[in-house]
Amino acid sequence: MPTLVDLLARISFLAAMPAVAGILVTASLLVISREWRLNVMSLTLQYFFVVLLLTRLIRLEVAAVKGLIGWMVCMVLYLTERRVDMLRGQEASANSENEVASRRHRRWVMSARTSFCLLAGLMVSVAAYTAALRLPLPEVPRDISLACFLLAGLGLLLIGLSESPMQVGMGLLTFLSGFDLFYVALEPSLAVAGLLGAVSFLIALAAAYLRVAEVAAGSEERTL
Amino acid sequence: MAGIVYIVLRWSSLAALLSFGTALALGVGVVTLPLDQPVQFGGGRQIALGETVVFFGRELVLEQADRMTMAFLFLTAAGIFLLAWRFTPHSLLFPMGLGMLSLLSGALLIQPLIYAALLIEIAAAFSVFALQGEGHAPTRGGLRYLTFTTMALPGLLVTHWLLDRYALTPDETGLLGASAVLLTISFALLLGAVPFHTWVPAVAGEGVPLSGVFVLTVSNGATWFLLLEFLETYPWLSVYPRFEDLLFAVGLVMVILGGALAPAQRRLGPLVGYAALIDSGATLIALGMNSRVGVTLTFLALLMRPFGLSLMAAGLSGLRSRSDGDDGWDALRGLGWKAPWSTAALVIGGLAASGLPISPGFASRWALCRALAPSSPGAALLLLLAGIGVMVGVWRGLFALLVRPRSPEDRSVVPSRNPGDASEGWLTRVLVVLAVLGCLGIGVFPQTLATLAARLAESYTFFLP
Repeated sequence: MPTLVDLLARISFLAAMPAVAGILVTASLLVISREWRLNVMSLTLQYFFVVLLLTRLIRLEVAAVKGLIGWMVCMVLYLTERRVDMLRGQEASANSENEVASRRHRRWVMSARTSFCLLAGLMVSVAAYTAALRLPLPEVPRDISLACFLLAGLGLLLIGLSESPMQVGMGLLTFLSGFDLFYVALEPSLAVAGLLGAVSFLIALAAAYLRVAEVAAGSEERTL
Repeated sequence: MAGIVYIVLRWSSLAALLSFGTALALGVGVVTLPLDQPVQFGGGRQIALGETVVFFGRELVLEQADRMTMAFLFLTAAGIFLLAWRFTPHSLLFPMGLGMLSLLSGALLIQPLIYAALLIEIAAAFSVFALQGEGHAPTRGGLRYLTFTTMALPGLLVTHWLLDRYALTPDETGLLGASAVLLTISFALLLGAVPFHTWVPAVAGEGVPLSGVFVLTVSNGATWFLLLEFLETYPWLSVYPRFEDLLFAVGLVMVILGGALAPAQRRLGPLVGYAALIDSGATLIALGMNSRVGVTLTFLALLMRPFGLSLMAAGLSGLRSRSDGDDGWDALRGLGWKAPWSTAALVIGGLAASGLPISPGFASRWALCRALAPSSPGAALLLLLAGIGVMVGVWRGLFALLVRPRSPEDRSVVPSRNPGDASEGWLTRVLVVLAVLGCLGIGVFPQTLATLAARLAESYTFFLP
């Protein structure tokens, strides 16, 4: 059975610009999409690409632990949204077929909000590219610098575009991933890595708690 | 203890009194126990409070200057827990507040300072749970506070690395400039300085009011002490060109903004936030004076702040519980007759926060105005006007609360038939009376806290001679 080192050695060719491209795509999807399944999947993949880049800066085991924390965070978000979806599904079981069809149709039409988010995401990506060229971060290669700026910029954009707990939570996690990718090169201490992991986990818990509160308050209002 | 309190949260009085007792015992203990002599604890274990404790390889050091600041955090928390016992008994404030207290006191003690930034961030994440009211829509305040604290984290952590590098290569003075900029932005985010102030009225206006005040006094107080610790550790920062001008200008903008927006509010919650914003602005102005008097006034403002804001929040909680969580003028019309004690707490707290004479706020605000008058009379005048702005906001609230019932048919102002709604309970009344007396007592005899503020300022030497 191949070990973790073997597996990572096989995909090490991804740990450069392909991983940065992956981060750009996943972070942009988080900004544009409001479909929770797609968002959770994007965040999971984003952590995978971040771990790939981290392997160039820190020990493999530490990078793997950081990845595990990220995927646990995604699991918390997934379970929360799944539960919320189930609760909503029970309430909306009487929905007519027409409404479902119209929803399917709407899924393929780009709304004004999506267009705006796409444009804003593009502008932030260009700004991140320019920043990586003009103000490269110390102690990290240029491609990782670009990944850091992309994650931080798109994370902040996500926070700014929405007040929904899940979107803000994912924005904060994306922003923190960008900072973490840079900071491990400056301070490789395990204590700092552990505390940053705890921060990520607590942000996910806080977002999940507020999401549940949102649904509970909404259903209470409907029953009144 | 936070875990135990969480388990017994169902028995709200037990949870509240446990939280109050723990915070009070820690506050009294940290002041009265000797630093240099070992103290016998249960199980025959001896601990000297002043000795260095190693926790996960990091040093926790309790110094003389930290004792008073920690006592301030613990005793303020104890007061808030006591008020929350009667006004928001089922809130997560008790376990989360205790958890936050341990993290914030750890932040003040831990070396090096980068860990303090991480502990403050974790405490901010805890505050989201405390701020969220049971059965209410999610509060923007908690999420915003967490967002701004997270955004402040990179600056604080990277500054530490930059300063370490500067120690190795003192020729690179650009590192100092970058550190100064990062630290300024980070603390502006953490303290809610303009233009990063949006979380302040949101924290106070939405969610559990006493949890909001916990964030604005205890968490924010810890951030203020951390800023002073940074200035003491890195004295070049306070003599950095135009640093005190920047502090003064930002503080003044906060005072002007708070003073202008406070009377325009149509809800009581954000009014508490704007009162806190003005107070933070005044504290920044005091720090910007870059003198011993300025540091003393900074401490005095921090020590006086909890009195007015806690009373305001307690009154607001009492009123909200009778108006389905709505604190707009329309929802509050005539409610003063149903909840006179909550109304009294709100009004007296509001007047204390605005700096009215014989209130705790007056002592610090008036002393600051007198210190400012010779050099910046305009700033002193704006500070007084900002206080009047808060007073106008409180007056408008009182006007709505005291609308008299016109007829028995007017259901909005007729006392409720539910006896639980009509009466505020004798314990609540006793608590409000004690809190008001305490507030007025400190207002009439501010020397006790002023002396303490002067002693605290003596521990700091970063300002210009």
